[in-house]
Amino acid sequence: MNRISRALNAARSTSARLALAIGGLFLMSYLLLGAGLYVAVSAIFAQDLHEVIRLDSADLVEMYKESGLSAMRTEIAERTAAPEDDNAVYELIGPKGELLAGQFASLPEAVRKSDGWVEFDENTEGGVVKVVAKMQALKGGGVLLTGRRSRNQERFEALVRRTSLFALLAAAGLGGLIGWITARLVARRLESTYDITRRVGAGELALRIPEDDSDDSFDRLAKRINAMLDRIQELLDGVRHATDHIAHDLRTPLTRLRNRLEEMRSRDVPADQFAAELDAATAETDQLLATFGALLRLTRIEAQTARADDPEFALEPVVQDAAELYAPIASERGIVLDAQTTPCRLRGDADQLFQLVANLLDNALKYAAQGTRVTLRLYDDGDAVLLVVGDHGAGVPQADRERVFDRFIRLEEHRGSAGSGLGLSLVRAIAHRHGGTVTLEDNDPGLRAVVRLPHALPS
Amino acid sequence: MRILIVEDDPHTSTFIAKGLTEDGHTVDQADNGRDGLFLATTEAYDAIVLDRMLPAVDGLTVLRTLRGSGNAVPVLVLTALGDVDHRVEGLRAGADDYLVKPFAYAELSARIDSLLRRRHAPSAETTELRVGDLELNLLTREARRAGRTIELQPREFRLLEYLMRQAERVVTRTMLLEAVWDYHFDPQTNVIDVHISRLRQKIDRHHPKPLLHTVRGAGYRLGVRE
Repeated sequence: MNRISRALNAARSTSARLALAIGGLFLMSYLLLGAGLYVAVSAIFAQDLHEVIRLDSADLVEMYKESGLSAMRTEIAERTAAPEDDNAVYELIGPKGELLAGQFASLPEAVRKSDGWVEFDENTEGGVVKVVAKMQALKGGGVLLTGRRSRNQERFEALVRRTSLFALLAAAGLGGLIGWITARLVARRLESTYDITRRVGAGELALRIPEDDSDDSFDRLAKRINAMLDRIQELLDGVRHATDHIAHDLRTPLTRLRNRLEEMRSRDVPADQFAAELDAATAETDQLLATFGALLRLTRIEAQTARADDPEFALEPVVQDAAELYAPIASERGIVLDAQTTPCRLRGDADQLFQLVANLLDNALKYAAQGTRVTLRLYDDGDAVLLVVGDHGAGVPQADRERVFDRFIRLEEHRGSAGSGLGLSLVRAIAHRHGGTVTLEDNDPGLRAVVRLPHALPS
Repeated sequence: MRILIVEDDPHTSTFIAKGLTEDGHTVDQADNGRDGLFLATTEAYDAIVLDRMLPAVDGLTVLRTLRGSGNAVPVLVLTALGDVDHRVEGLRAGADDYLVKPFAYAELSARIDSLLRRRHAPSAETTELRVGDLELNLLTREARRAGRTIELQPREFRLLEYLMRQAERVVTRTMLLEAVWDYHFDPQTNVIDVHISRLRQKIDRHHPKPLLHTVRGAGYRLGVRE
């Protein structure tokens, strides 16, 4: 339990970290966007303000040129007394530096002496207001100050700052919420996986993780784990099945052997029969040893896997040798063994491949009807090396075509015939060990075994 | 012939010793690698039956030490490990033959005979083999019995050559498969029997005294002995 909660905590903190990272990125991009907007809008405001001031200033200068200083002084006094624009500020400074007209009783020395654009603070009843102004020197002495209080811009900036703060707080809250929900979802999804894998590990092999077919990573993980569990179960079933059959298939002849020996001991068997009985017992033992040997071999091959450093060899001569080995048996049974092969190369064990071909031919010849044709084909279809053995015998019903590969499975109608019931198991084990597959198909009539083996891998 | 058995299982060891004694050999036994190596280096044997898994010093080490000291005595390695890899490893260590447990005594006996015979066998330079009135010319690849030519397929030729080189000795089906077909595999049915009966048809038909005999429970023997 401790381990699970630790694992869950790890998952939680993983998703929490993820949520934090996403939230952080989200906030950062928001800040960048806000700051950019702020700077851009401020710049537009400032530009507009300057434009207004410049035009206003140019108007007044024009008037000064036409009507002279006193007219301008009157104009400015009027404008100051009854302003069209609350934010407009003017000041006319005489040639000797004296204030002739305007809002300000006094101007800071720095402003009065400067030329061009100035910014300064004005103390009003509502507090300090920033003023942007243009100082324009006049012909014949004097300076004209034309300016605007930048109240709108300040109001906008304050609004942006306030809104940003709220938005930031909201975004942080939302990020946290998203993180929490994500963490919860991840934990819940993983919780069932952890729980089920734990229970499977404890022995409840039939359990499976629920799949929701959403094809997200969790679903894919669940599917992969379930596929793995299916495979493990299949292997375990195989082992259980095999153990049952081994017990049965080895115990039966052993019992028979034991009975025979017991009988020989207890009964007075005539001397001539005695030797025959002993021969029969020996033959029985040999059959047992052969079955046992085949089982060991099967187990060993099943434990092997295809490796890139397996030796490469030419398959064609191996297949031809096998065909040649079985040719006399075929002709003895009045069967035509029709072998057509092409050069193919493979990586693996030539002895095992020989065994594979031999077992398939053995089966085909055993079950083919007399006077028919057994075909053996070896070719490369571009994707893989194909080995096909077909006969025109009784075939195998569709329902049994997978089952016959299991250990000791022998179809009822063939129970009496010779063989260990391991031939096809060995074929499949050898095909798998070489990274290939084997399937049984209808040969219409009869059976066709198709072995598909991957090309020699480049080393 | 004098044969040393190095095998730790007393039942197996006694069983082999009894059989070999009945076959007319003199037998010494050792139940671990150290004693086996001592006997093998101090006494002169015609063949050694060596178990692969032994206490004290393991079989392959005994074998490598023997070969390292220049001892060329024929060695048959017994093993429960039947993999091709293991077989190759054993043969590389210097084994002359390799027999997988469990085995039938007939198989062991035939292989020991074959090993003993190899020492006195016709050398590779021999161009003609002869058993009774059966002749095999290895250069012209011609077979004749009582002066009459016998037509042989290439594989039949190899089969006959092997049987003639092992004349009067029992050879098992497994030995034939390994020597003539050169594959280590486990035939489901006795395919070899069919090849032998074809060969028998060719060499023994029309002749009152058959040369190719079936040895029950063991294999085949080519020879003039009935």
